[in-house]
Amino acid sequence: MTPLFAWLFDTLDERLGLRSPSRKAANKVFPHNWSFLLGEIALFALVVLVLTGVFLTMFYRPSIEAVTYNGSFELYRGTTQPAAFESILRLSHDIPGGLLFRRIHRVAAHLFVAAGVLHMLRILLTGAFRRPREVNYLVGIGLITFAFAAGFTGYSLPYDSLAGTGIRIAYSELLSFPVVGDSIAFWVFGGDFPTGDVIPRFFVFHVMVLPAIIIGTLTIHLLLVVRQRHTQFPARGVDGHRFVLGKPLWPAQFAESATLMLWVGGVLALASILVPWSDITLIGPYVPGEVGNNAQPDWYMFWVEGALRIFPAVEFSVFNLMTISGPFIAGILLPGLVFTGLALYPFIERRVCRLEGEWHVLTNPLEIPLRAAFVVGTFGFVLIISAAATNDILSRLTGVPIEAATWFFRITAVVVPPLAAAAVYVYSTRRLRRRGRTVATNEQDAMRPYLFSAGSSDDESMARSGSEPEPEPE
Amino acid sequence: MNRGENRPRPLEIIERRDPPTSSINDSIVTLTAIGAGAFALLFAVSLLAGGPVQLYGGALAAALMLLAVAVRRFFTGRYPDVTAVEPRDEPATGGAGVSVADVEPVSPRRSFLTRALIAATGLLGLSLLAPVASLGPSPGDTLRRTKWARGVRLVTGEGDPVRPADVATGGLASIWPEKGIGHERSSVLLIRLQQPPGSPTRIEWVVDDLVAYSKVCTHAGCPVALYRERDNALFCPCHQSTFDPARGAQPTFGPAARSLPQLPLGLDGEGYLVALGDFEAQVGPALPRG
Repeated sequence: MTPLFAWLFDTLDERLGLRSPSRKAANKVFPHNWSFLLGEIALFALVVLVLTGVFLTMFYRPSIEAVTYNGSFELYRGTTQPAAFESILRLSHDIPGGLLFRRIHRVAAHLFVAAGVLHMLRILLTGAFRRPREVNYLVGIGLITFAFAAGFTGYSLPYDSLAGTGIRIAYSELLSFPVVGDSIAFWVFGGDFPTGDVIPRFFVFHVMVLPAIIIGTLTIHLLLVVRQRHTQFPARGVDGHRFVLGKPLWPAQFAESATLMLWVGGVLALASILVPWSDITLIGPYVPGEVGNNAQPDWYMFWVEGALRIFPAVEFSVFNLMTISGPFIAGILLPGLVFTGLALYPFIERRVCRLEGEWHVLTNPLEIPLRAAFVVGTFGFVLIISAAATNDILSRLTGVPIEAATWFFRITAVVVPPLAAAAVYVYSTRRLRRRGRTVATNEQDAMRPYLFSAGSSDDESMARSGSEPEPEPE
Repeated sequence: MNRGENRPRPLEIIERRDPPTSSINDSIVTLTAIGAGAFALLFAVSLLAGGPVQLYGGALAAALMLLAVAVRRFFTGRYPDVTAVEPRDEPATGGAGVSVADVEPVSPRRSFLTRALIAATGLLGLSLLAPVASLGPSPGDTLRRTKWARGVRLVTGEGDPVRPADVATGGLASIWPEKGIGHERSSVLLIRLQQPPGSPTRIEWVVDDLVAYSKVCTHAGCPVALYRERDNALFCPCHQSTFDPARGAQPTFGPAARSLPQLPLGLDGEGYLVALGDFEAQVGPALPRG
């Protein structure tokens, strides 16, 4: 420690009592696996989003009022544009650093959602959601939905042609709620689409409400990880049920996380000069009554967009009281069903597989056929309907008529996920039987292969001992 | 292990005063809780009914203040008043900590008063949702009407009125009502068909082989912006709904379930195209009722 830092630390310690808690924090053990870094990547992407977002907010104008662009970008000079669009033209082409920070913000948003989704997939596959971590799993599901909402509102703010189409479809989705849809749509949009209120409102949600919710929820998410301690993969001769095996925060984990943060920043900066992310000068502003080809949303909305595309033409009235339409079933009910399934899965698995006690050691999903089948079925379905959001592009590239491409996705979306889930279920059941095992119902049983094959540890506390609180099933 | 180490230490109480059991105090809690709930309702109702700001603002103030009195009397008049000491150098964690002081209420009617307070708080919370209705106008029949009416001229995006001769054979134009340029739900496609249209196109609304359909997709409200020459179909780039303009713009493929409504067309005295009235069918995506 340098003298200055030591003096600073002592000064603060005398007043705040830092020594004991900081020593405790420095000694906190972090289990090690590459997949544990996915959540960290999302965290660092969020840091980048906040920093770049503050810069963008200094220049963005949340308004659709028509103004004239007088900046340096030739194509748009002297034209009249919505103020939001014009302010982004100015930010991108007349403010040093503006284009870079805007692109970094955009890529960081993609990375934030992608790392969050992969992190969720890791949690699902390895069973990190099991008791006692169900609460934090639900907090994580909430975070994913908030991330989607933040992504969608941010995508809308430039008020370019694609943003206009996204907002339009969001309006129709709200309108599709039976009985009360028109009121909901008018509450959110301030009236009949397009209104001048939607951009200022999305702006408030994007820069204030959602960041506050995301940062608050993320803080709870991380505090719960600290309090409940991290899960870990099984290791030979280690009783992971009682001990966390890994590297202390100082210096190993600190070095790794600091490096990772810099890598995330570096990769985002590099990506932003290699790809002109959402170049609004090419897309053009929102124009009433117009929409172009390739009207795709951001990738994490593909699954909803694809569902809207391939869901058959359905619209019927129930006793003349309410209308149930395709956009409601495909765009509201279906995503709601997927998220409900994800939220309920930990409780279903515990009940169906008769799991007992607490679980801190991760398992191969093939050891639990139900989970393997659920993840393959759900994510297979989401991937197929995501691909369906590109049916127009695929049709143009391959020359297959759009009708055939749509029917292909209709059939695969219904047939393939159940078949794939069943195949994985049968495979993992046979795999268990071949190894002479059944689904382990408590953690001791699940760890048995790892504990007994080691047999070298002399330290009694590290080996499985008879003093476990859980009763032995045999 | 010494069991005594794990037992929480009692809180060091230096003074304790038990209030006298008072039915008057309990009545105050009950009445103020009921009053808070009533004013909370009045706030919501008068705000929604468009009452004067003094009325709903005053009702909100009264609800909050009465609830404050109710909460204050719920504790002060019913729980022992305890003063205690806590050592300053106590470590923040470790040990079994300090036990909560034994402060049971002196009055027996605890559950009713608790329920009254919870009910008043809940009612206030619900009433605070009333301002949500201010976020947008009441939809009424806004979504069942467009800016088209009898005699309204068809104009281009630049505002120029349109004569039948302005649209070439096989041609297609994006059209707005004269005073509704940019109002998406009123946008219209004007099409010159190659041959006379078949049923269910309304022939009496066709002028000189020109037919006008709503441009708003009946699926999710995107503009049906593309014309596919291969089969003379109208095509929505958002979700690929396809419509047949020669046959009443019926949906022929994709997720749309209803035809694009046909605009009744006519000519005015100067030979410009006008609407003969609003659309008869529902424009755009499905409405939540009906």
